[in-house]
Amino acid sequence: MRPERPNRFLWLAAPVLAAATPAAVQSASEAARSPETIFASRCAYCHDDGGWGTRALARRMPEGEAALLDRVNLPPAYTAFVVRRGIGAMPQFTPAELTDEELEALANWLEDRN
Amino acid sequence: MSVLPPGLTQETFDQALAEFRAAIGPQWVFTSDADRASYLDPFDIGDQDDHASSAALAPSGVEDCRKILEIANRYRVPLWPISMGKNLAYGTAAPEMRGSVILDLKRMNRILEIDEEMGTAVVEPGVSFFDFKAELDRRQSGLWMSGPSHSWGSVIGNALEHGVGYTPYGQHAETICGMEVMLADGSLVRTGLGAVEGTREWQAYRWPFGPGLDGMFTQSNFGIVTKMGLCLMPEPEGMAGVSIRIPDRGDFRALIDTLRPLRMTDVINAPYTIANGWRQITGGRVRSEVWDGPGAISRERMEELLAERGQGWWSVIFNLFDSPAGLDLRLEKIRQAFSQNIPGATIEVRRWEQGQPKESWMRQDVSLAPLGVVDWGGNPGGHSDFGPIVAPLGDRAEEVYAIIERRFLEYGKDPWIGMFGISSRALIFVADMFYTRTDAEETERCRRLFRQLCADMTGIGIGLYRTHLRFMDDAVAMHGWGDHALPKLNNRIKAALDPNGILAPGKQGIGSWNDKEEEGQ
Ligand SMILES: Cc1cc2nc3c(=O)[nH]c(=O)nc-3n(C[C@H](O)[C@H](O)[C@H](O)COP(=O)(O)OP(=O)(O)OC[C@H]3O[C@@H](n4cnc5c(N)ncnc54)[C@H](O)[C@@H]3O)c2cc1C
Ligand code: HEC
Repeated sequence: MRPERPNRFLWLAAPVLAAATPAAVQSASEAARSPETIFASRCAYCHDDGGWGTRALARRMPEGEAALLDRVNLPPAYTAFVVRRGIGAMPQFTPAELTDEELEALANWLEDRN
Repeated sequence: MSVLPPGLTQETFDQALAEFRAAIGPQWVFTSDADRASYLDPFDIGDQDDHASSAALAPSGVEDCRKILEIANRYRVPLWPISMGKNLAYGTAAPEMRGSVILDLKRMNRILEIDEEMGTAVVEPGVSFFDFKAELDRRQSGLWMSGPSHSWGSVIGNALEHGVGYTPYGQHAETICGMEVMLADGSLVRTGLGAVEGTREWQAYRWPFGPGLDGMFTQSNFGIVTKMGLCLMPEPEGMAGVSIRIPDRGDFRALIDTLRPLRMTDVINAPYTIANGWRQITGGRVRSEVWDGPGAISRERMEELLAERGQGWWSVIFNLFDSPAGLDLRLEKIRQAFSQNIPGATIEVRRWEQGQPKESWMRQDVSLAPLGVVDWGGNPGGHSDFGPIVAPLGDRAEEVYAIIERRFLEYGKDPWIGMFGISSRALIFVADMFYTRTDAEETERCRRLFRQLCADMTGIGIGLYRTHLRFMDDAVAMHGWGDHALPKLNNRIKAALDPNGILAPGKQGIGSWNDKEEEGQ
């Protein structure tokens, strides 16, 4: 019902989703998925520029740091905790849909690129 | 802090866990606090710990499921199967009974078949709407997915829960054509024509020789669904997106009586959504920005906000699917019916034709944006709903609407009410409660409101579409005909198929291990 917002990760999401497709045999949770893939295909729906996560974080983050990709500082341990436990109204991710190894790599990637 | 399945000691549970680890691999048995926390309900209407699991298991296929069942039967470990476990608003991945072990089928995520000629697919439980859409796109399929408004869930879990989408195939349980189910004793059955060895017709026809059992495994704990066949809609030649504004509150009855024949004759060939005033004032802000009074947002304030937005007391939206010429005919009939019955209504129409880029009103994109509505009430926000099934008759719908609106206001909750014309003969009300999950007083009030409404609806002979885990017993108690003959039959079937009661005890009020929940009334 809400207008979709332009997703600045679409360029990433398109090829990536196809790669993560559970075609035939390999199950997505066991295929190696890169942090970029996971971010684009799961987190970005809420953490892209106009996303709900970004809008919620804009209420309590300094100007310009509401989008996770614009963060100056995002400790990996904090990201890992938030993703497993949820925060505010952000629902959490289970280890079957996002393994510990994938989560660690994702959290490190988010920290490194900031 | 460890949680145990009822009736098990730490020692026996540890033995069972050791056997599970040996059976499916230690990395797929989750017992840490962080892992278990990930299966709690983020939108729970009260303390999440009431529905905490004791562990989670993630099998890789039916053989793993069979091993798990054998161990669970021996130790009397209750299992709670989930597909994606994103049943947000109704319990998410959490079990009805505290201490149950989650059986997380996410790893079983193959799309086994998409049959372009027959317009059918066969999928496993872990296939999310994201995955399914991506695969249809990758194949440049001529078939469309019908998904719920957020895409995080699973094709199977959503259909099993009688989920709703916004295409002609939007009654998702109706699109099921054949299942593979593992029963509690580890035996595997295929329903429908899947029972015929080497068949090509498993997905072609739902009615085999003998009873059709697909429905028995929906909203049910009689088995673990390991595969499901689904009918898919061929891409339409065109679409029209219709939104109708009805300024006058008093036109509700006329609205329902106008929509019914249009839906019944298939002029409106997909579910429609009616929103009342309160439901239309939410987008783009949080509640505290528009209301700081006690209790519910008053009708006067709500009407002021509606006027600011130029919206009517009621809004209706739906999409039509047909060739361009067919759409013209449908739209003409719709315009005629409204101008005759509700002259004050305004109708806006958008159009799409095959070959043009898709637009957001078509609801063909995967999305998580709708979840943002949860922020409206407070932080950490939650929401759940009361969902009676009502005949789309003006009088009847008005009677139910009036009760729900009055009770919401009485309990200090905004009457945020939607009505879904899911089929030609059923209107599903979705009356949403938004709350701050950590506010014990508010969540308790929401639970009381829910139970009050159950009593009100029972009084006029109405049952529910689906509920949050917390109200399974309340919802099943509404089926009192013949001294609760139907719930009793369900329990007899349960006892026959699952004598140890290990599969999802308490789901839909069936095979509960406890006496009725004694919770803050
Ligand atoms: C803002 C918002 C909007 C929503 N919009 C919609 C909507 O438009 N339409 C709609 O239908 N829903 C909607 N929902 C509700 C819900 O989130 C979705 O229906 C979601 O798809 C259900 O989650 P799932 O598919 O992951 O099911 P799961 O959580 O995997 O399954 C649900 C339940 O079904 C049973 N089950 C699942 N898989 C199996 C199996 N393989 N064998 C046996 N039993 C099984 C279990 O009891 C399980 O708890 C909405 C929720 C929110 C918060
Ligand atoms: C359904 C929407 C949604 C999805 C999907 C989602 N998030 Fe969030 N996220 C939110 C919201 C909303 C908040 C803000 C919650 C609050 O504090 O109120 C948030 C907050 C966070 C925070 C906390 C930031 C801070 O400073 O406190 C982190 C870290 C985070 N998300 C990471 C992720 C990662 C990584 C993913 C993908 C694996 C993800 N999120 C997926 C909605 C989402």
